[in-house]
Amino acid sequence: MTHVDLVRLAGSRGRLSEHATVDPVTAEVIRGTMETVCFEMATYVSRTATTPILNQSNERNATILDAQGRLAALSVGIPQFMLTSTLPVRFALEFLGVEEFREGDVFVANDPYHGGGHLPDYNVFAPIYAAAAPDEADDDTRRMVLIASIQCHHGDTGGGVPGGYNVTATDLWGEGVRWPVVKVIDQGVERRDVLYALQANNRIPDYIGDLRAQIGAAQLAAIRMADVIDHYGIHAVEESVDFMIDYAARRFREEVTAWPDGEYEADAYVDHDPLGNPDVHLHVKITVAGDELTIDFTGSDMRQELQAWSTFGNTRGYTVGQIAAMMDPEIPKNEGFFDQIKLVVPQGCVLNPAPGKPVSAGTHHPGADVGEVIAVAMQNVLPDKAVPQTYKTGIPTIIVGVDPRTGATFTDHSAEVYAGWCNAAKGMDAWGAQAASFGNLWKATAEFNESLFPHIQWGRDYRTDSGGPGQWRGLCGSHYVKEVCVDAKVYTYVVGMKYPMPGICGGKPGAPNELIIRYQSDDPFKVQHTADWVPIAAGQKLQYNYGGGGGWGNPLDRDPQAVLDDVLDEYVSFEAATSDYGVVLTGSLDDLTVAVDEAATEQLRAERRN
Amino acid sequence: MKESATGMGYRVGVDVGGTFTDLICVTPAGEVVLDKTPSTPEDQSIGVMTGLNQLSERFGISLHDFCADLDILVHGTTTADNTMIEMTGAPTGLLVTEGHRDEIEMRRVHKEEIWDPSYPAPPPIARRRARIAIPERLDFQGKVILPLDEDAVRKGVQRLKALGVRSIAVMFLFSFVNSEHERRAGEIVREEYPDVEHVSLSHEVMAKGPEFERVSTTLVNAYVAPKIAWYVNQLQENLRVAGYGGPLLIMQSTGGVMPPEYVSKRAVSLLASGPTGGVMGAALAASKVGVLNFVSVDMGGTSFDVCLVRGGRPEIKTDWNWRYRYYIGMPMVDVQSVGAGGGSIARVRQGALLVGPESAGSLPGPVSYGRGGTHPTVTDADVVLGYIPTESFAGGRMKLDVDAARAAIQADVADPLGVDVIDAAWGIERIVNANMANATRRVLASHGADPRTLAMIAFGGNGAVHAWAVAKELGIDRVLVPKAAPAFSALGVLVADYVVDVVRAYVVPLSQVDVARIRSLLSDLQEEAGKELDPTGLSDADIDVGLYAQMCYPGQNFDMSVPLLEGPAIDEPGLLDLADRFHNQHEAERGFAFRNQQPLLRGVRLIARGRTPKPDHLAELGTVTLADSSRTGTRPAYFGNGFIDTAVFDGTRLGPGAEVQGPALIEEPFTVVVVPPGGQARLDDTGNYQLDLP
Repeated sequence: MTHVDLVRLAGSRGRLSEHATVDPVTAEVIRGTMETVCFEMATYVSRTATTPILNQSNERNATILDAQGRLAALSVGIPQFMLTSTLPVRFALEFLGVEEFREGDVFVANDPYHGGGHLPDYNVFAPIYAAAAPDEADDDTRRMVLIASIQCHHGDTGGGVPGGYNVTATDLWGEGVRWPVVKVIDQGVERRDVLYALQANNRIPDYIGDLRAQIGAAQLAAIRMADVIDHYGIHAVEESVDFMIDYAARRFREEVTAWPDGEYEADAYVDHDPLGNPDVHLHVKITVAGDELTIDFTGSDMRQELQAWSTFGNTRGYTVGQIAAMMDPEIPKNEGFFDQIKLVVPQGCVLNPAPGKPVSAGTHHPGADVGEVIAVAMQNVLPDKAVPQTYKTGIPTIIVGVDPRTGATFTDHSAEVYAGWCNAAKGMDAWGAQAASFGNLWKATAEFNESLFPHIQWGRDYRTDSGGPGQWRGLCGSHYVKEVCVDAKVYTYVVGMKYPMPGICGGKPGAPNELIIRYQSDDPFKVQHTADWVPIAAGQKLQYNYGGGGGWGNPLDRDPQAVLDDVLDEYVSFEAATSDYGVVLTGSLDDLTVAVDEAATEQLRAERRN
Repeated sequence: MKESATGMGYRVGVDVGGTFTDLICVTPAGEVVLDKTPSTPEDQSIGVMTGLNQLSERFGISLHDFCADLDILVHGTTTADNTMIEMTGAPTGLLVTEGHRDEIEMRRVHKEEIWDPSYPAPPPIARRRARIAIPERLDFQGKVILPLDEDAVRKGVQRLKALGVRSIAVMFLFSFVNSEHERRAGEIVREEYPDVEHVSLSHEVMAKGPEFERVSTTLVNAYVAPKIAWYVNQLQENLRVAGYGGPLLIMQSTGGVMPPEYVSKRAVSLLASGPTGGVMGAALAASKVGVLNFVSVDMGGTSFDVCLVRGGRPEIKTDWNWRYRYYIGMPMVDVQSVGAGGGSIARVRQGALLVGPESAGSLPGPVSYGRGGTHPTVTDADVVLGYIPTESFAGGRMKLDVDAARAAIQADVADPLGVDVIDAAWGIERIVNANMANATRRVLASHGADPRTLAMIAFGGNGAVHAWAVAKELGIDRVLVPKAAPAFSALGVLVADYVVDVVRAYVVPLSQVDVARIRSLLSDLQEEAGKELDPTGLSDADIDVGLYAQMCYPGQNFDMSVPLLEGPAIDEPGLLDLADRFHNQHEAERGFAFRNQQPLLRGVRLIARGRTPKPDHLAELGTVTLADSSRTGTRPAYFGNGFIDTAVFDGTRLGPGAEVQGPALIEEPFTVVVVPPGGQARLDDTGNYQLDLP
């Protein structure tokens, strides 16, 4: 069996130049230009991709790496998914060797055990060549200076279940087709055999069109950056890469230095894996020592019978995503940022599995829970930064049936808008639908999806009292009801029922998830861990009560006027104002006479505090 | 009403900006006169009237005589924008399909700052308590699957009334397919609350899906409409009293103008019309000299606005338009703004020099203004490097303190970087210019355009100073700096065409289209557009009408406007043709087509464009064609390699055909045109400086 040491693959790489003479202004100008080229790559995909998941949902990350595979610049769709852009490139560099990275080449890779996140995430990368500097060669030799890479989530990747999430597969091979690295363009010439093989291993006819959009984006970046290198010179560009990586590292260390020294530990759990094995355990010990930050997941679940595995690259992505949310948003996200985190993840635990373990479920859980456990560990030292940038999705709920309008099978990924799992921050009630990290998503609507799938979306309103109480309130989750208009089957995996989003600094947890298929029928099916193609008849509904976000701080410290406002707005019920917040109200909501009884509130809160 | 568009009377364009109200007047003799007066934010019409008075004084006639001889007054207003910036609209409530009460808060999951979990929520237009869920439901074809609960509407209106709501928005799902429920709810609102100031029905504001986009747009419309109605009324009343009986036209975000009756129903269409005026002005200036493909850049004190113009028409963005943290579902001239301007602050963090987006604005402003600014800005670097005159800035009304600018750059930039003050100032220039070039590239990238194939039109107070450097960074070698640039927005509104843009939804696979229904929708549209254009007095010859089918592939989130060449005469074979044209257009614009897929029709659209007269030249020109005789001296200026003694010219004296070799500084009353070494500038006979860069 192939085995790549991902920890070593992610390790530090040396600088490009020993003595940087580039001035800070040139370095900043080149940094801005490289980030713009990343943006152009991402925009190119949005403009030319054929399927909505790529041209509308923004699930793509464009990056430029140096020739050693160090991240130099990026344009991010979803922060948590960004880091899996670098490791597949490093694998290809080591496996094929630099000499296989020829001018005009383009590569494709998607394998979780060769640096990727999960199989539906396809990385496409291309070397960027330019004329060697005069002091390197006196002829017209060209050499690789940088590498452009763009990662996108595709709607299918082969395997046992359409859609890329086969959570009941017992190993990776059951989940889809693995491409550790293949060359699709060889020095500018398309490899038709390879592209055909890629197409043949995917259910979606438009897949290859989307892959071509990625290829085009990488080629565009190669052309644009070659111009930039010609303009500024190879040395200036390479030294600028060093400069910007060093700069990010300094800014990172500056932040860590301001954090109190100490060891901070926490635990988090996933309800169960898709097989029902309970309480998948994450443990973290975070050590802050001067300007050094160590994040150690030793003690996390080692049960080998589990079916919930987050690969090392995936774990690293979620770690960085959470740490980035706890620092100055202005710090450039490049190798200098990532390389400063000393990450310890024992081989064989759920956050760094042995090769071949299935990852469909684990990419999200325990993957996302990495962010949660870090936030929980840091809540007392960084109270104003500890906002978990995570979710309790399980996997998207997939509904399959035959559309009478077309006679064809439809696959509804339930990609519609809903609110869930958004924690409060110190000084700010949670708002919107999900955590800030997912702000680039652009989720589907009733008016479009109902014309696309035979269903009715009866609603997704905030669920009163589902937001975690706190001095600042967690966001309510949605009460989501969908009616199917034809007989169909439902496939999904639900977590966050036993372990909802945690409260922070004395805040209370959000309400848990709950999914009932055939809701309000004689034969409701409440999902315990998975729904393995559960039938639902035309006219029946499914109800998903999405979990709320956790609160921040003691609810008894919440301004009673804010509680009154919440009652008027029905985020909080009249009763919960008292039971959760210790606020005594008078009057009635119906005739808008509701008011705070200040004296009674003070007394009740005093009693509760004792 | 006077006979308009004969070219016999005066024509005036007014643009109300944050600081100044700009006016451009075309006289009966064809002269172009520019004027400015301070804006009056509480009631912008006061400033407008002051400006008209100033113009009449310049012509030596009374305001009344001037107004009587005024053919047309075209107006760009920031009232809607200011209402959103300050969030001072009417207390607004919403009646909404039950189950979809919170779409406006969920925003399709969109958040502006993905790295900042503490970034706050947008200020609410209608808090949750003022969003009333109404049981009712249509399916995607407009069929009623749950009847409207009229009693719930009545109770809801009473509750909104009790909450102090004065403007009401109604948004029901699929109302753009079948508007019956919304219209009935609108009637009930009027019955229950006869004094309500405004009612916005979502299908009238934005006749298409999806629900988040429509509810956001409708709420913003309901929120700003009462203020717009009040303001337009004030202005009309003031004009009437002054003796003006001609048409008043108002600029919309599409770059077209229409009368108050039209825009007051679509108050939301006035948002972001200010920058649009500038782009329309640029398009006119460029077309005069045959430049049709260009990027317009407007650099002011705090922001840098970019727009791509191809074929003489600015790119229009029809979806994902956000303004003031709300989604605005109106087609808008695609002007993108970044935080780079004369007031952008330079600072050093951990050895790296950063410029902007923080800005000192105009108050306290740059250090050199001497108004209390302490952080060095781009303008301070401009002063230190010699581009901007210290004595004759802003027509001599303001003296700039170059020593203070130098000291601030020394302390905040040069010392931390360990370089001298000139290198530091030059570093600020390079970074802000690179930031502007990158912002421009991003705009071009989203349209797939290559800057090297374009010209640049630069305006705004700082546009002429930085244009050459930004152009160089982008590989653009031709730059136009119009002399009328300081009042470009006013010029743009004056010359803008009438635009009526209306849609009717009809969602159906193309194979199942009922041709009779398309025909009847098209004739509805033509009737509506005719009604809207009637008061303009335009003849049919001056109006271009385009009919379009709004189409997409199943699953796509956006529509494409495909020309309906046959118009109302469309028949079954025409539909087949239409499918082909859609595939072709999709392939041309987005790079691919699914020819084996059945396209979806989403509606029909009519765009009517009524042409307005355009002046021949756009600015008052001097008479001196031999540039040297307008030369006023020299000043040391820095272009990256030591200070160069640089010739200074008085731009107001230069006449058509005058040529200036770089390095040179051409001083205009409100800006300086910087011509770098090796470049040259030529003033053309329509009033543009044309820069050729080395």
